[in-house]
Amino acid sequence: MSAAVRAILLDARELQSIFLRTLYWSFRGKREPGDVARQCYEVGNRSLFFLMVTMGFIGMILVFQSGLQALRVVPDLTMLGATFLEALVRDLGPSIGALMLATRVGAGIAAEIGSMVVTEQVDALRMCGVDPVDFLVVPRFVASMLMTTTLILLAGLVSFAAGGATAWFVFDVQPQTYMNLSLLDRGDVIIGLSKCLGYGAAIPIVSAWCGLTTRGGSEGVGAATTSAVVNSSLAVIFLDLLFSGAGFVIFDG
Amino acid sequence: MGSMTSTDDSLAARTGRALLDAATDAGGVSILAARLLQRMVPPRVDGPELWRNLHRMGVRSLPIVGVTALFTGGIMVIQAGVLIRRFGAEGLLGWGAGFATLREVGPILIALMFSGRVGANNTAELATMVVTEQLDALETLAIDPLAYLILPRVISMVVMLFVLTIYGDVLALAGAAWMGQGLLGVSTATFWNGFLETIRVWDLATGLIKSVLFGGMIALSSSHYGLAVTGGAPGVGRAVNASVVASATGIFVVDYLATYVLQ
Amino acid sequence: MIEVSRLSKRFATPVLRDVSLRVPTGCLYGLVGPGASGKSVLLKCLAGLLRPEQGSVSVCGATLGDLDEVSLQAVRNRIGMLFQNNALFDHLTVRENIAFPLRRRGVSDESEIAARVADRLAAVSLAGFEDRMPGGLSGGQKKRVGVARATVTRAEVVLYDEPAAGLDPVTSQKIFDLLRAEQRESGATVVMVSSDIERLLTVTDRVGMMLDGELIFDGTTDEALTSTHPVVKQFVHGEVDGPL
Repeated sequence: MSAAVRAILLDARELQSIFLRTLYWSFRGKREPGDVARQCYEVGNRSLFFLMVTMGFIGMILVFQSGLQALRVVPDLTMLGATFLEALVRDLGPSIGALMLATRVGAGIAAEIGSMVVTEQVDALRMCGVDPVDFLVVPRFVASMLMTTTLILLAGLVSFAAGGATAWFVFDVQPQTYMNLSLLDRGDVIIGLSKCLGYGAAIPIVSAWCGLTTRGGSEGVGAATTSAVVNSSLAVIFLDLLFSGAGFVIFDG
Repeated sequence: MGSMTSTDDSLAARTGRALLDAATDAGGVSILAARLLQRMVPPRVDGPELWRNLHRMGVRSLPIVGVTALFTGGIMVIQAGVLIRRFGAEGLLGWGAGFATLREVGPILIALMFSGRVGANNTAELATMVVTEQLDALETLAIDPLAYLILPRVISMVVMLFVLTIYGDVLALAGAAWMGQGLLGVSTATFWNGFLETIRVWDLATGLIKSVLFGGMIALSSSHYGLAVTGGAPGVGRAVNASVVASATGIFVVDYLATYVLQ
Repeated sequence: MIEVSRLSKRFATPVLRDVSLRVPTGCLYGLVGPGASGKSVLLKCLAGLLRPEQGSVSVCGATLGDLDEVSLQAVRNRIGMLFQNNALFDHLTVRENIAFPLRRRGVSDESEIAARVADRLAAVSLAGFEDRMPGGLSGGQKKRVGVARATVTRAEVVLYDEPAAGLDPVTSQKIFDLLRAEQRESGATVVMVSSDIERLLTVTDRVGMMLDGELIFDGTTDEALTSTHPVVKQFVHGEVDGPL
């Protein structure tokens, strides 16, 4: 038991060190201007379609589900769109989108960095006087924060539109009734945006940590990839609880 | 995973290739499902292999499903809390959090985690066995890889995701009740009363039926991508990635269909 | 000069036990031993990539264990290294791979970089390969690009991990002769890990042999060839019967 606790503490220290070095090098490092742009392209190219499909389905499912739920209590669906929009901005859009990105982007980052570790390219970087965190993690970190926010905004629009179509065809809620922004306030937007940034920061850090601690050959890379998916998803869920709790206390408490 | 090797890079060509690949994979999953069903009547499953898989898939996922479920319960209470504050109806908390957790969010999140942990691992294992020719070795020993290797894994994944969803539901509700008291000051008794008065057995059953569908989805697609691997060790990485993405997409599509049918 | 004193290191099990070793300046030192005997770990300790648990490692007058990651960089700037798997950067051309250590050490004059890359490629007989990607090279060519990158900064200390692993006998011998010629020309201190003992011994000045994490022999090449230590004798002469 104490061995397990010690292993967790060691992991936490390693993760913290990668995080702090990423922050340090984000401000201090000098890099090629194309690096971040290339990573942005990687993230976007890899995930845009996937994210839109899944978030579109989520929009349809949730509007249908909450329509049913609402009909059971009050047979009034005029607020269906407004309630869904609030939930989408405040939590569902960022969190479900980030879970999808954790799967797609996190696995990619861990696989790339992991295979550089097992082929000793990371050691070679260190021998050339380069901190692997500066060279490998920082461009992905910056790109991920930018792209997570952008992609989630886009996918959120798709999700809201897909929900609107469901409301129209299934519950006969007219689009002008559905398009209701009245419940959306400053707090919702701030919570939603901070979640996007938080998830965007956490996914590359956690995945890079999984990649950088790869042991063994190609099986090691496989294990690092799997654990990146699981750990960055967990990080998203953990941050969701944290941000939601803090947001509730600040804006609704 | 498709076999298209054209280098035409126009948008139309790429879209066409993506669609053909998707069709190839969907077809591959269906054929795999059919061949596995063939081996179910009469059942030809390797017993010890089944037990081993049930055990390791279940035990390996317990901590992560537990943590996910506890947090999910907490998050659902916070989301419901916004509405509760607005309408001042504390009694509705158990209903608001419970309904969404049992029917929708619980099964989906647990399935996503299960896919990341067990599904990805299954693809990696099978793909490694394919590229190191272990499957060919089985066939030369006159052992049917589908009955010996795949069927036990598929059954284990379906059964274990079902069991883990029950376990996750319990923990999610406990997390919700606890969070409701801590953050909203709604007593656990109020929470449970609200929950028991409004939630029907059907709500729980919907979620569990979905978990079986998700389990089948994850099991089939992760096995398919593992078996269809090409291109040596780097191919294994690509297979794992494709499998996790396909499972996640599959979960949402299946959920969408199930939500309509099971209302 | 490299000095290792009473170095111990363990992962799950001990991999280095109480190793002491001295490599004089300008010496070509061969490190041999069966697989998993701790050779590569020792080499990574010399490069500061792994930290000693007990004992000390001193390279170019600096004690590596005392330094943090930033000060280690100053020492590493004086070390060149060839990795077992070459560790060429997949996303860079051959030219940029070789130029990488120069750029990171602050050389920014493009004509100087081009001249030194061309010089290195000529030395490893790969002139004209500048724009190729590592993925398209054969095993022997990758190895030689690795050698070019390890020697491009004219480092005082050069470490080679299995420079001939996986190559055919002729190419191996060529690589060893190349490394010896390089070392003669630059006067660098070189440590070379290899399992190919027969060819390694044709180029070394001194030899150390490791077994189960311990350095069981340390002496000149001639002493190794005539050693009566049963393990060394068996290993050097490739006999089947013996303690190994």
